[in-house]
Amino acid sequence: MNAFNLHRAYSVARKEVMHILRDPFTLALALGLPVMLVTFFGYAIDFEVRDIKVAVADRDNGPAARRLKEIFAASGYFRVLEPAGNPVEMLDSRRADAALFIEPGFSRDALGGRPARVQFVLDGSDNSKGAVMMGYLPGIQRAAATRLYGVEPPPAPLSIETRFLFNPELSSRWFMVPGLGAIIIGLLAILLTAMTVAREWENGSMELLLSTPVRPLEIIIGKLAPYGLLVLIGVFFVYLSARLVFGVPFLGSHLLFLLACLLFITAALSQGLFISVVTRQQQVAMQVGIISGLLPSMLLSGFIFPVESMPAFFQYFTMILPPRWFMEAARGIFLKGSGLAELAVPLLALAGLSLLLLALALKKFKTDLEP
Amino acid sequence: MSAFSIKTKTLKKDFGAVQALKGVSFDFSEGLLHGLIGSNGAGKTTTMRLLAGLLKPSAGSVSYFKDGAPAAFADLRPSLAYMPQQASLYPDLSIDEHLEFFRALYRLDAATYARRSKELLGITRLDKFRERRAGQLSGGMYKKLGLMCALLQSPSVLLLDEPTNGVDPISRREFWELLYALGADRILVVVSTAYMDEAERCARVHLLDDGTLLASGEPRAVLKERSAASFEEIFIKGANG
Repeated sequence: MNAFNLHRAYSVARKEVMHILRDPFTLALALGLPVMLVTFFGYAIDFEVRDIKVAVADRDNGPAARRLKEIFAASGYFRVLEPAGNPVEMLDSRRADAALFIEPGFSRDALGGRPARVQFVLDGSDNSKGAVMMGYLPGIQRAAATRLYGVEPPPAPLSIETRFLFNPELSSRWFMVPGLGAIIIGLLAILLTAMTVAREWENGSMELLLSTPVRPLEIIIGKLAPYGLLVLIGVFFVYLSARLVFGVPFLGSHLLFLLACLLFITAALSQGLFISVVTRQQQVAMQVGIISGLLPSMLLSGFIFPVESMPAFFQYFTMILPPRWFMEAARGIFLKGSGLAELAVPLLALAGLSLLLLALALKKFKTDLEP
Repeated sequence: MSAFSIKTKTLKKDFGAVQALKGVSFDFSEGLLHGLIGSNGAGKTTTMRLLAGLLKPSAGSVSYFKDGAPAAFADLRPSLAYMPQQASLYPDLSIDEHLEFFRALYRLDAATYARRSKELLGITRLDKFRERRAGQLSGGMYKKLGLMCALLQSPSVLLLDEPTNGVDPISRREFWELLYALGADRILVVVSTAYMDEAERCARVHLLDDGTLLASGEPRAVLKERSAASFEEIFIKGANG
């Protein structure tokens, strides 16, 4: 007699839309914030080290030394400084990150076809930067050999050839921006719904709603739908920003990406709803939403630290986190062009988690006023 | 339309160490306007919420009757209207939008809704303010809107928890006249109030004090039986005795 009724769910949704439209803050939060944050942090999060200041002590002053300095500068990673004094002092005072010593006779040897040596001194106190610089040197070496000797250096007897698939430029932005989008979208979805049911309780309207024939599932569906749509629009803006601002390639299927987004959004919205249903206070819901929505997705989703290198316990633990699966799916679709077959596990996991969280929210939904 | 009545038997409700109701037996007979009279903290809201199925009794029972025969709460629920004491409307929605929302929850057809909302807006004289948001209504208008939402579906049982609390005297009188005008005296109505002068407007009164029932019956009969000039007197005597 009083089973789930789509009209009632729709009327709850329509009412929620009115609330959203009359609350410019929520609207701006949902539509503007994700794209703003992704663009802002997308620029900041960059593991590439550029503009490394190299203090050069050129005691050779020959044409080969000049060419070597040009090669460093042309790489785009290094900025060549030629101080009057000792380059080591510049390292000490952190005015330079590395020092290059070119001894007299370098040009003579190099142009004469004999082996020539230079010394490259790194500031080891910032080891992440140091490691990155080390990574750039072989390329410089190869370029220098080709230009100075006119030949490619002979291959070593045993060579390991490294080549990056999928992200050939190894641009950390390509890798980070889709992940960043996932985190921000997830957090937004959680926060939006975390407030909704709690608001009905604080507003007192829940007491009235519970005395009407409306069912908990109708309230839950009616609250999920409008926010789902809102967050989906937010995703679209983030997508545009990733493609247009950061030039992230998109190799996969848009339809598949939409499916992954829908599943992830549902999971995140359900998580927020569950928080809202349990806490029944907007303040508390907001705090729980931020903590549960931000920390796990930042640290345990594979956004920064690869899941595969976590301790065994955490590798299993991450499986209950929707962002971990979406991260995998989003990066796969963006950078690898993964299809449905490769992404079956993450997509199924997202669907399963959505259902689980939705069921939990429904189970915890109070239909009385018992304290 | 079926006639409902509600009876409670030694109804108790505890909240932790606090006993809100200490074994009360009410008889809310059908077709009458019942007043639940008592000061703040007497247990009126707890009683209302128990009747509306929003709280579960700690002991004792609430029984519902449909045309004299025992009925389940589920039978009553679709035709129950409840107006909570605390503010429970949406401040950012207008009068019209509230009516539309509750119309959808009660699944009223367009013709019934059109007739009923026109009638309600006319009697409450809120038809000029249909676009106004609930947050901008005066106290009396806000209560009237709550009443309209409750009455939209033509309920068989109407539970009003302190509908006149915090409303000026003129609006209070208006509110009672409204109740009669809406035919609320032909269905089971339970109105709780802390205003003793409102007791005489009810067909039956139930005097609640500190979780116990002091007296109940027709207002005049209760006064006569207690040989009291006013209901205040009964409460003062009750508190001293």
